[in-house]
Amino acid sequence: MRRCDACAVDIEGAWVRCPLCGTAVAGEATPSPLPSIPLTFSRRRVVRVLFFTSLAVILASFAAQLLFSHELTGLGMIRSVWLGLSAMWLVVLMAVRKRRNLAKSTVYLVVIVGLICVYWDYLSGWPGWSVTYAIPILCASSIVALLITVRLMRIETSEHVVYSVLTVLLGLAPIGFLAFGWVTNALPSIICGGLSLIVLALLQLVGGRTVRHELGKRLHV
Amino acid sequence: MTRGDGTRRNWVRLDNASNIFLAARSDSDPKVFRISAEMDHDVDPVLLQQALDATYDRYPLYHAVLRRGVFWYYLQDSDLRPRVTGDRQHTCAPIYQADRRNLLFRVMHHRQRIILEIFHALSDGTGALWFLTDLVTAYVSLRHPEQPSTQGESGAGSDAHADRGQLDARTPAGEGAEPTHGLVADSFAHYFRRRRRHEAPASEPDFSTGPGPAAPGSGVVGGRARFARGIPRRIGRFFHLPERKVYRVRGTRTPDNRTRAVELTMPAHDVLNLARAAEVPLTMFLTALFFESIRASAGDLGKARTLSASAPVNLRQFFPSTSPRNFFATVRVDHTYGEGADDVGSIGRQLDAQFSPKVSPEALEKTLRQFIRLEGLFVLRVIPRPLKDVILRLVNWGNNRGLSIAVSNLGRVSLPDSVDEHVGRMSFHVSAARPQICVMSHAGVLTISFTSPCVETDHIKEFARLLTDRGVAVTVAAARVTEEELAEAAL
Repeated sequence: MRRCDACAVDIEGAWVRCPLCGTAVAGEATPSPLPSIPLTFSRRRVVRVLFFTSLAVILASFAAQLLFSHELTGLGMIRSVWLGLSAMWLVVLMAVRKRRNLAKSTVYLVVIVGLICVYWDYLSGWPGWSVTYAIPILCASSIVALLITVRLMRIETSEHVVYSVLTVLLGLAPIGFLAFGWVTNALPSIICGGLSLIVLALLQLVGGRTVRHELGKRLHV
Repeated sequence: MTRGDGTRRNWVRLDNASNIFLAARSDSDPKVFRISAEMDHDVDPVLLQQALDATYDRYPLYHAVLRRGVFWYYLQDSDLRPRVTGDRQHTCAPIYQADRRNLLFRVMHHRQRIILEIFHALSDGTGALWFLTDLVTAYVSLRHPEQPSTQGESGAGSDAHADRGQLDARTPAGEGAEPTHGLVADSFAHYFRRRRRHEAPASEPDFSTGPGPAAPGSGVVGGRARFARGIPRRIGRFFHLPERKVYRVRGTRTPDNRTRAVELTMPAHDVLNLARAAEVPLTMFLTALFFESIRASAGDLGKARTLSASAPVNLRQFFPSTSPRNFFATVRVDHTYGEGADDVGSIGRQLDAQFSPKVSPEALEKTLRQFIRLEGLFVLRVIPRPLKDVILRLVNWGNNRGLSIAVSNLGRVSLPDSVDEHVGRMSFHVSAARPQICVMSHAGVLTISFTSPCVETDHIKEFARLLTDRGVAVTVAAARVTEEELAEAAL
């Protein structure tokens, strides 16, 4: 009979490490009264396979859009639905992957949804709705959402600060859109840019030192 | 009443205890339990099959398959025959799947063990133990024909007799006649429905419903007593946070939803002496040890400093019944850390002070009668079954929130004399929605089986060390669950 000295127990079966505490065990192996049954499936592998197949299908379907010209009649509706579904699935995948860090998933969300909007806009002949409305509104609302979440959930500053700063920096992008004259309506970009600047100033006042400390920690060469 | 699908098949309505198991099933907790007996030799499958055929014929209930009616589930007779197999699936693998008309139990063998697995809607631990006792008895008499036959001798429990499993509890003990083709009456209805319990049993098998106490490991336990006080209170619990936050164990789910099972084996008298020294009955002493190991493995309980346990109580000890169908109630006990003495002995005594008054026959009867009244309401009875399932699932979910662990003690098993010498330790696993211990002792060996839907074994480690620190010799047997453990076994 094998024995784990840390737990002071005898162990039936051919365990290399103690099934209770994981320390190496010594002694003769005896047969176990409980058989080893192979796994019928492995949750982790199933999830991983699903994730990568989904990702492949989504990226392939996005790429496939380039093959169709946007003048094709009757394609618009189907394409919009398909793009919408794919985009939603992609966002869900990212949210699931990054669920442990709220600020991080917000950054991913803003980037992914923003890029999809721009691509969609491009596919449908570039009317400019993505940079005029979608991205500024998305950035502004995610900044507000982050502010609220961080307050309500009492997330430690060091936990979220880097990604919060990133989100705010993304919010400055619409100022660039204004400068390049890509927009048809200036108001959303002005609001979003203004909000970002205000929040950035706040972050500097409140957590400037923390931000520098965190950046120093993460970017040390 | 019979149902026809070509033949007239006997059927019986499922009592509510069993309905709850159906509603509360999940992938990781299929509401299956396993009892195994370890023989003094490697089990002979051919003889075991013969023994099973003989035992099966004497238990009409075990012939049943589960069917779905519009308002209720029901059990229906079948012509299926059970086959003995090796132990090829993980412990407590699902048995009942909707629309598959299969038997609700399986008999297996592995090395020296004879294993019985049962879907909890069919029977409870005590009922299953009767079946296993008769099966092992039949097996031993086939294997040792030179010994005096023990067929029909009673096994587990003093109130058992040879023809339990008959149509109903009306067959007087000792007659042992051929079983009639029927199913067994529901003891809940028999005892707690209008009739006083001291009166003679009904002359008709009662096909009405009984209350639904939860099972060892089922989530419906929460507080039978609380439930019985009526629905308004229950609904109220959804809106009022309990004053004391109950700690719930979290962890990593097993890779394929199997139950993590670890058996600790030890000399029974050593543990009994510890319990006696603390002046606490064994079940509550083990519950206190379990609380302590959960607390130690949690590191910090945080705001949730209350640990609660549900423990099933066999009602047959107070309300004699020979029906192998579900007949138990569950009692909830809890302990809040940081409000007084927190050593194992003090916790155990405090738990026992809660437990004892709840398991007096009078208290149990009062609770169960109220519950039966609630169930008898016509309004509730005419709700279609799928909707009932949804409601029961919600109730179950509500109850689960107030439970940290479950403790199920089948006690000391006594087998017929001629069989006893051939059987060593006996053990008992229940598929679990939360960490749980199942306790059973035989031949001076106490087996404490831990089951859990998560892979973590920290609380088991703490439990084992609490015992070994107190000088108890503990042996561990664990089933391999994670990919790493199984890969190690394949080497």
